[in-house]
Amino acid sequence: MNYTEKTKLIQTRAAALLEAGEVSYVLGWGATRFADKTRARFARSPEEAATLVYNEHCTQSLAKYLVDDRWPETRIAILARGCESRAINRMIRDNQIRRENLLILGLPCEGTDAERCRSCRAHDPVVYDELLWEPNSTGAAAAAELSRYYRADAVDALSAAEKKAYWDDVYARCIRCYACRNACPVCSCRECFVDMHRTGFQGKRHSATDNQTFGVTRAFHVGDRCIECGECERACPMGLPILAQTQKILKEIEALAGDYEQGLDAAQDNYLGAFDLDDKDDFM
Amino acid sequence: MSKVGVFVCHCGTNIAAAVDVVRACEAAKSMPGVVHAAEYKYMCSEPGQQMILDAIKEYGLKRIVIASCSPRMHETTFRKMLKKSGVNEYLIEIANIREQVAWVHDDKEKATEKAIDLIRMAVAKVCRDEPLKSQMIPITKRALVIGGGIAGIQAALDIADAGHEVTLVEREPSIGGRMVMLDKTFPTLDCSACISTPKMVDVSAHPNIRLLAYSEVAKVEGYIGNFTVTIRQKARYVNHDICTGCGACSEKCPAKVPSAFNKGLSKRPAIYTLFPQAVPAKPVIDKDSCIKLKSGKCGVCEKICPLGCINYEDEDMEFTEDFGAIVTATGYQTADWAQMYDEYGAGRFPDVIDGLTFERLVNASGPTEGHIVRPSDGTEPKTISIIKCVGSRDPKKGRAYCSRACCMYAAKHARQIFGKIEGVRVFIFYIDVRTPGKGYEEFYDKTREDGAIYVRGRVSRIYKEGDTLICQAEDSLLGKQVRVKSDLVILETAMEPAEGSASVAGMLGAAVDGDGWLTEAHPKLRPVETQVGGVFLAGVCQGPKDIPDTVSQASAAAAKVIGLLNKNEMESSPMIASVEADKCSGCSACEAICPYKAITMGEQPGREAGGNSKKVMRPIAVVNAGLCQGCGACTVACRTGAIDLLGYRNRQILEEVDALWV
Ligand SMILES: Cc1cc2nc3c(=O)[nH]c(=O)nc-3n(C[C@H](O)[C@H](O)[C@H](O)COP(=O)(O)OP(=O)(O)OC[C@H]3O[C@@H](n4cnc5c(N)ncnc54)[C@H](O)[C@@H]3O)c2cc1C
Ligand code: SF4
Ligand code: SF4
Repeated sequence: MNYTEKTKLIQTRAAALLEAGEVSYVLGWGATRFADKTRARFARSPEEAATLVYNEHCTQSLAKYLVDDRWPETRIAILARGCESRAINRMIRDNQIRRENLLILGLPCEGTDAERCRSCRAHDPVVYDELLWEPNSTGAAAAAELSRYYRADAVDALSAAEKKAYWDDVYARCIRCYACRNACPVCSCRECFVDMHRTGFQGKRHSATDNQTFGVTRAFHVGDRCIECGECERACPMGLPILAQTQKILKEIEALAGDYEQGLDAAQDNYLGAFDLDDKDDFM
Repeated sequence: MSKVGVFVCHCGTNIAAAVDVVRACEAAKSMPGVVHAAEYKYMCSEPGQQMILDAIKEYGLKRIVIASCSPRMHETTFRKMLKKSGVNEYLIEIANIREQVAWVHDDKEKATEKAIDLIRMAVAKVCRDEPLKSQMIPITKRALVIGGGIAGIQAALDIADAGHEVTLVEREPSIGGRMVMLDKTFPTLDCSACISTPKMVDVSAHPNIRLLAYSEVAKVEGYIGNFTVTIRQKARYVNHDICTGCGACSEKCPAKVPSAFNKGLSKRPAIYTLFPQAVPAKPVIDKDSCIKLKSGKCGVCEKICPLGCINYEDEDMEFTEDFGAIVTATGYQTADWAQMYDEYGAGRFPDVIDGLTFERLVNASGPTEGHIVRPSDGTEPKTISIIKCVGSRDPKKGRAYCSRACCMYAAKHARQIFGKIEGVRVFIFYIDVRTPGKGYEEFYDKTREDGAIYVRGRVSRIYKEGDTLICQAEDSLLGKQVRVKSDLVILETAMEPAEGSASVAGMLGAAVDGDGWLTEAHPKLRPVETQVGGVFLAGVCQGPKDIPDTVSQASAAAAKVIGLLNKNEMESSPMIASVEADKCSGCSACEAICPYKAITMGEQPGREAGGNSKKVMRPIAVVNAGLCQGCGACTVACRTGAIDLLGYRNRQILEEVDALWV
């Protein structure tokens, strides 16, 4: 099935749902004035449903918009690929959204033109109400072209001095716009630490130390909950390799605990943030 | 301004010898917020405390810093003092300039500087402290004792005698534990059953004790004074309300399995009591060996029982009870030596037995009626070797610790052997002989006088030559290899935490150490308490010990329980986690990390940004004041800092840290 046919399927289903008043809107993608870019579109009527598009340029993951409408009057329909679905699970786990408010239209995905899609191990949605077309024959964990931790691996290959230089450079360029935070589906605090003043540990200045404090703290806040969608990097206007940080955390967790992937179901515990009597404590 | 008073203690010369207390006091005077500073020889003494109280009046002090010993020593003392003065007892900080300064530094100049730094930090923090108020929580005046060995029995009797209701939960069909398996007990060599069975009968007859044998704890909820415990009573298939314990069923039961109580030296039927004096003295059917329950055939016991007690349909039963305090007395098991010591035959030689098996062998009510015979051929052994520290003091193969009772019961075993076999030779292989108890050294002396040959060395190998076993060891006193031909070898094996005790600890939220023993709150000063309020320790579950120590500890735990249950309500510490509801996003990160299950997700009405300012019921974290131990784990897990520890708020600690950089 090609993108035109898929787009048609989406438009038809969205129009039907809106027509029947089953959902207040369908969250999907729409065209922009650039041929190779799409953006989120909230289709609120059957007519608007006809403006939804679906193609290899749909690089944005839509799930984060759900936290802006945590308490909808009627259900919301959302188009969900692997990454959206994992974000949804994670946001349910974090008590940010409720499953019953969602109608999840699952889209088995073949990857977009974003680099991170080439490392994706969950192309098929892991949670949905209906699938709009057949799932990938290779299953959800389709063989990925890039290694799961491709960014972290690259940094791990550097020497200590090179790593320092690498991160110094990254945080010299960071403009602290917090786009990464805004795009991240697991960033759901009511008041983010970067917005607090006088915390005593985090300054507002644009300085190397404060930038790094921000970066490291953000990485750990996301850390063991990261669903690896790469929205942070997509949003970053400076093109910084932010995914390297959470990938590194996940890589370490995998080394400690074995297989660990977030967002596969909505009941999963965080590895670092949960207490268990059998927790590893051989370092103590 | 804060009106802080600083009081620097000399602690005799403990602090004054290593820290210039006068200089420290002078320095304190110019710290921000400080309006008065003084030093004194012993701040904790009557006159010391009076001096502080007078200063509070005279200078109108609102907050107090005391530079002295560790807060673990006297924080409570000074809090009590503040209560009298009208200043909130949480507006005080202790700068530990004894353990953290005087006792660990030699250079007086630098030590004084460090003391001043610590005082400055304490002053910075106290200025940020908030008055706190404790809550009163009611207490359920009933106790639960888990484990019915001698420890559990003693604790239950003591608590019940003091007038409180006790439920005693034992997972075996009878109480008694390991002690009832023993023949005689050191150092007095009195008969173990004779001294323990009367206590068991007392338990079953005590009006305040509810005995639940063949039962286990399935779930524990709640907190000190208010535990709700789910108890699972295993299916017994025998109606104990009618059963008189006549034993007709056990006699006729055709199924026979090795008796664990007799360490496999004899067989028991599928419907059985653990031993003749069992309490309760009524049988249960072991469903794994009952022919009827396994294959539907048989049914002999049902036919034979004159009262119709047998019910093959019986099922496990679960119920909940409320308690104010819990004593764990889950005891121990002996190490599975066959798994650890291949060189001792790994169980291939029937005449290599462990100490507990020997207890059954030598026991007049045991399978051989007390005749010491070789399990292989029933003959009387003429030479017996006893090997100590099997699995103990052996970090490579077993456990690093000493099991504490083995030196003594090895000597006891030698004495029992001498008493029963004429002309027998007994060799005892040892690393050390440890006899630190009343009458213990004398007991050991007598054992040697009786003829026991002590050989200093660990046996490296046991092998068979014809019918006899050869124990090979290096006698480290002679510096020579020795080989002892033995007819019987007794391994005095290590005590290990009873199987499942870690899961009991887990349910209670109590800690276990690296070896699996339950951990006391403080090894010296709080030896029978755990870190979890209302949970106490008795007997070997806390660490290896003999019966005298077990019983003393059980009575001590009982005293703690009685002290708690005598109150109607108790004060809870106000230094607990507290949630700033407006900030909390309800993510439940704190719930997942709390080791005491003190946090649940509640609901609160609120206006939701991003929801058209709709009024909604949104999830927020709720801390249970009784359960929270103030560990602070949640405050670190909460990304937005919505949950904070009262008395140790993030900003209070940061203030303290910042005070270092002036
Ligand atoms: C061979 C040998 C000889 C010894 N000889 C002597 C001696 O002569 N003199 C002396 O002073 N000491 C002697 N000891 C030590 C003595 O056995 C112990 O000090 C004593 O039995 C400890 O009692 P306890 O109640 O702590 O534990 P235990 O006797 O082990 O009792 C624990 C009880 O708790 C029950 N239990 C365990 N887990 C659970 C659970 N999850 N739920 C419910 N119930 C549970 C068990 O079934 C058991 O009944 C000897 C030990 C050994 C191994
Ligand atoms: S302070 Fe510790 S015990 Fe209290 S709620 Fe937080 S995690 Fe639980
Ligand atoms: S971790 Fe913080 S934000 Fe999350 S539920 Fe707990 S208090 Fe609320």
